[in-house]
Amino acid sequence: MPPATRELDIYRRDAKANHKLLTPAEREKLIAPYLPTPPTSKRSKEGNIRLEEPSSHSRLGLRRFLRTQLHALIYALLHTIFSVYIRLRQAYHAVKDRILAILYYHHRTPELIQKDVKGLSRLPQHLSVILKLEDGGRGGAGLEALVNEVAEIAAWCACVGIPVLSVYEQTGILKGYVPATHRAVTRKLSSYFGPDHPALSLRAPHIPSMESASKTSSSESSGSPLQHLSVLLLSAEDGRDSLVDLTKTLTEMSQRSKISSNDISIDLVDAEITESVMGEPDLLVLFGPTVELSGYPPWQLRLTEIFHVQDNQGVGYQVFLRALYNYANAQMRFGR
Amino acid sequence: MSSMYLSQLRKWILESPPIEWGLNQLRELLIGALRQGPIPQHVAFVMDGNRRFARTHKIETVEGHNLGFEALARILEICYKSGVKTVTVYAFSIENFKRSKYEVDALMEMAKAKLSQLTQHGDLLDRYGARVRILGQRELVKPDVLEAIDNAVELTKNNVDTVLNICFPYTSRDEITSAIRSTVEDYSRPLATQARPFSQTRITQKIRSRNINALHSNSPRRNSSPEPPSTSDIDDSASSSTTLHPESPPIDSREGEVYPDPETITVDTVTDHLYTVGDPPLDLLVRTSGVKRLSDFMLWQCHEDTEIVFLDCLWPEFDLRHFLPVLVEWQWKQKHIEEKAGNGFKGSKTKVR
Repeated sequence: MPPATRELDIYRRDAKANHKLLTPAEREKLIAPYLPTPPTSKRSKEGNIRLEEPSSHSRLGLRRFLRTQLHALIYALLHTIFSVYIRLRQAYHAVKDRILAILYYHHRTPELIQKDVKGLSRLPQHLSVILKLEDGGRGGAGLEALVNEVAEIAAWCACVGIPVLSVYEQTGILKGYVPATHRAVTRKLSSYFGPDHPALSLRAPHIPSMESASKTSSSESSGSPLQHLSVLLLSAEDGRDSLVDLTKTLTEMSQRSKISSNDISIDLVDAEITESVMGEPDLLVLFGPTVELSGYPPWQLRLTEIFHVQDNQGVGYQVFLRALYNYANAQMRFGR
Repeated sequence: MSSMYLSQLRKWILESPPIEWGLNQLRELLIGALRQGPIPQHVAFVMDGNRRFARTHKIETVEGHNLGFEALARILEICYKSGVKTVTVYAFSIENFKRSKYEVDALMEMAKAKLSQLTQHGDLLDRYGARVRILGQRELVKPDVLEAIDNAVELTKNNVDTVLNICFPYTSRDEITSAIRSTVEDYSRPLATQARPFSQTRITQKIRSRNINALHSNSPRRNSSPEPPSTSDIDDSASSSTTLHPESPPIDSREGEVYPDPETITVDTVTDHLYTVGDPPLDLLVRTSGVKRLSDFMLWQCHEDTEIVFLDCLWPEFDLRHFLPVLVEWQWKQKHIEEKAGNGFKGSKTKVR
């Protein structure tokens, strides 16, 4: 609903002629009725306004008061309507997610998962997920749930054929339990694939990776299209902090005149960050209700497709699947 | 046929003065109502979809960009009226130079025209109190456009109420890299050593001479036997040379230059070297046209708890009716966060439900 259609028409004709049709004065006249009341009075002519005000003070004050009241009323009304709407939306999404979760369940069978993704034109080579530690303070329940989620997602990736999975969790608690996580993921993989599951390497930046050999001798016979899955654990310190650490190192080198500041280029930073943390993921899946990166490494996010399901809570296979479907349909436009 | 008549009728009704007046009043009312709640202090927009809009409406690409500019004016009005302090828009990416020369030239021409038009109405700008800033690589811009940019920036630099950041040839990686570079430059500049009236060399010399004096005066008194003094003398001279030596080489190698400690570099240091220095933290990032990617925009800024919203509508059609739900949802979430912070127990309960 464009207001001021007539003026808009004139403006457009003027714009077409490269703003030569109207003089600045004419243009000012054109937009005059749509300008805000000059607030300059409140800043520069404070004294003047005070002098003028008493005559019309009460009426103006009353009007302003009434307007504020009206706005407050509309605000309350808006938010009442909105909270009803959002409850409905959440309920709708919850039902929809439930139905999808029933329709698409993996049953821990790699064949089923492969059938689900068979029609997709492309798959991400590097998938990233953001997980949340729930109830961090209360015993190991949150940690156990988190490890289980990592294991599940890793197993799905192995089934689909995504070779690299990076798991971001803000606090970095998982980094303290690399062997245990490795064991849990291996157990999960063998529960999906049976005894001959793909090899797994689990690592975190600056922590040596834990490898496990594939147990199968003839990997062709295994049910997985993947022979090797690598899982990377990330936390908030791999985000901005890693860039700050890089800055410190570069500063030290520059202070000892080992490099000049002109040597610092995007390529250099990119190479270092890729080396020490990770490369760019193709797809980032959030399992939260809104898109909030909560400290995810910024440098790597450049062209990453970000997927989330509105109002979703928690990790679910159907979210994972929808992310892959969405990714396959998306057209990649690299600045063009 | 009938649909065309209907749309004609609709247009005619919408354009009739009372309806137009009513719609304007409604707009004002809604914006005024929004002001009653919390308002994001810094909003960023990725103005995506101008070309697709032009394609679907069978108009020229440049026309699409022109309509996109109108949409920007509309959105800016909404933002500033509702109390947003800083608006950052992604106008042109460094990657965009890969587009056809015709389009790039047209975009540059448009930027120049709009900016120089802006400078013709300096007093009007003062009324909004908006300051224009251009973020990006200036070296990539042609001199005539640069001149228009500088004029606009110069003219508005005294405004303090609101800020409009135009990311002109911008990518976030470029921004982060140049922030790192300028941080390194800052820290590689030797600290200005204050000129104190005391000279270090004079002091060392004085100490040395005093030590020697002490030795000379001490040695005869301490011992009369010839052997021990000689050894003690050697010892003393050795120790005095070792105590003086470690101090002198650093002075020589540093040549009096002292650098700030790199360990004092923090996230804030780098943040202060970004183009967006001084702006409040990014609260909301809106990208239109359904592409769910950041495309090298505000990577550093939006990585904490910025709410990122991807909308399906194209940028030229973006208006209050698309933006209002986003703002209301943001306010709603803000209230919930406050509630949770206030009484964590109840907050978690409502969240579970």
